[in-house]
Amino acid sequence: MKKKALFVWMVLVIACSSLLLMTSCAKKQIGAGEAEGMQEQPAVTEEAEVPSDEGYAEREKQRQAELEALRQKQLEIDAFESVNIYFDFDKSELKPESQIALKNKAAWLENNPEYSVRIEGHCDERGTNEYNLALGERRANAAANFLMSLGISGDRIRTISYGEERPADPRHNETAWARNRRDEFKLFK
Amino acid sequence: MKSRFVSTLKSCNKAKPAFLILMLWAAVVLVPNLAPARIFIDINAPAVQKLQIAVPAFSTRASGAAEPGFGGKLADIVANDLEISGYFVSIEEDAFLPGAVKDVARDAIRFKDWSLIGAELLLACTYNAIGQSLELEVRLYDVFRARRVYTKRLLGKRNDHRTLAHRLSNEIIYLLTGQKGMFLSRLAYVNRLQGKENVYKEIFTCDVDGHNAEQLTFDKGLSILPRWSPDGKKLLYVSYKDGGPMLYLKELGTGVDRRISARKGLNIGANWAPDGRQIALTLSHGDNPDIYTIDLKGNILDRLTRHWGIDVSPVYSPDGRKMAFVSNRSGSPQIYIRDLQNGEERRLTFEGKYNTSPTWSSLNRIAFSGMDGGRFDIYTINADGTGLQNLTQGGGNNEDPCWSPDGRYLAFSSNREGGYHLYLMTAGGRNQTRISFQEGEQTSPSWSHY
Repeated sequence: MKKKALFVWMVLVIACSSLLLMTSCAKKQIGAGEAEGMQEQPAVTEEAEVPSDEGYAEREKQRQAELEALRQKQLEIDAFESVNIYFDFDKSELKPESQIALKNKAAWLENNPEYSVRIEGHCDERGTNEYNLALGERRANAAANFLMSLGISGDRIRTISYGEERPADPRHNETAWARNRRDEFKLFK
Repeated sequence: MKSRFVSTLKSCNKAKPAFLILMLWAAVVLVPNLAPARIFIDINAPAVQKLQIAVPAFSTRASGAAEPGFGGKLADIVANDLEISGYFVSIEEDAFLPGAVKDVARDAIRFKDWSLIGAELLLACTYNAIGQSLELEVRLYDVFRARRVYTKRLLGKRNDHRTLAHRLSNEIIYLLTGQKGMFLSRLAYVNRLQGKENVYKEIFTCDVDGHNAEQLTFDKGLSILPRWSPDGKKLLYVSYKDGGPMLYLKELGTGVDRRISARKGLNIGANWAPDGRQIALTLSHGDNPDIYTIDLKGNILDRLTRHWGIDVSPVYSPDGRKMAFVSNRSGSPQIYIRDLQNGEERRLTFEGKYNTSPTWSSLNRIAFSGMDGGRFDIYTINADGTGLQNLTQGGGNNEDPCWSPDGRYLAFSSNREGGYHLYLMTAGGRNQTRISFQEGEQTSPSWSHY
């Protein structure tokens, strides 16, 4: 039912807008290529029945601001997810720099309550898969517990251990091993 | 001694009883030099002198010939098996003198030609391929004594000729050692493959010579830690296909695949009790990894460890009364033994800072993987902590030891030649042989029953 109503509404809007396009096509150039612009097109054309340059500029400004906020959020998400924390061999204790990184993450989570985080614990390839799966879980739990101690609800944190199964660096040397002993952080809603 | 008589009996099993008795009498009384000691292999001797054996290409009459080179293929499979066993050196075909086997059917053998190239034994076989049926006629000769010591006819399928050749290898092993051969058993393992987007791991099985590989999982995700049930009919493994490390049980006959433990956190490192009725594994419930036992439906039977440390990799002793496992309760991973009767736990390994992957043989020896100088080697040790031995000194990492069911061989994975591949060696570490050559990297072997 809803779909049908929406469809009728859209047909009307498109009919109106094509009329308007014929009369005032000069005003309707901007943002046509933008994917998000396409979605918002009905709203734009609907109000355009009372065409006013100031109103349009205002809305466009608002729309750009929203886009900018989205971009900004994505940058924040990327930044959040790109910062891993690293561990010493056969250890799951948080280093001081890891604690700083986690404090930053906690602060961000605090400001963005709609997001939850999935923490993935990883190990280097040395040792057995089984022991490393347990160690990876320890590493994920260490970060989870620290976030919780900073006030982030446990409901917003998931943990999983990949042991040595998903190395970030596939090489077999000290540098690679150091990069592989890590927690990764993935945000989800 | 026994096998010698068995073979004599087998070779004249169609003879009349009276004749048979006469033969036996003749064998015992008239032919004192039939003493079998020279070619009977004492597998319990501390150092086994390898026998030099020649296995020429199996010959055939034109009417029963398969594709060109088929007889050579069969000979290669058997010769390779015998080498893997650690009891034989197979003499290179290039050394064979032309015409040294004139007519196997009539035992027309130029024994001098074989002894000249150092052969102590000659395995001369013929094959007959008609349609899908494949028949082998096996003759083993003692070159030094210029005499046939064994005859056997084996029947099989041509498209399954590897199995038939492995059966022949088992016959030779049984004849000469009195022990059941391993060549009809299989290994389960993990193969790491590079997909277009990511690396994934699947469970495979193969013959003990690494051939006849068969893929069991097709999830393109992470399937790891395969463990064959004692009866060889089921396989436990861990997979991430439902979102985390959970335990699955695959019935190999029917292909039925059931998830049996999907608790929060880890459901890993499962191993079978010797009776095949319960499973020991590590569960963490998302918090602390401890060892539990479950039934085949996944219901928890018992919790065995209660410790803040990591407790993983449980493995039963052959009598089911004890369990070896790995714990880092002392600060680094070490192997412990738990008495399942009274619950006492004691530490088994004290050398080195990182000892994992215990596996307990039917001959009561424990193998494990230990790190020393940044490299992993396979060690063996007695359950009382005596007799520590490093079996793989030098050459890459050596991990995931796994005993053969008779406790006389170990399969393991090593990256001594670059990527990880499967190797076999004797319980004493001799005869280390790479067996897997397929695409990808192969680890985590588990040996089926014989």
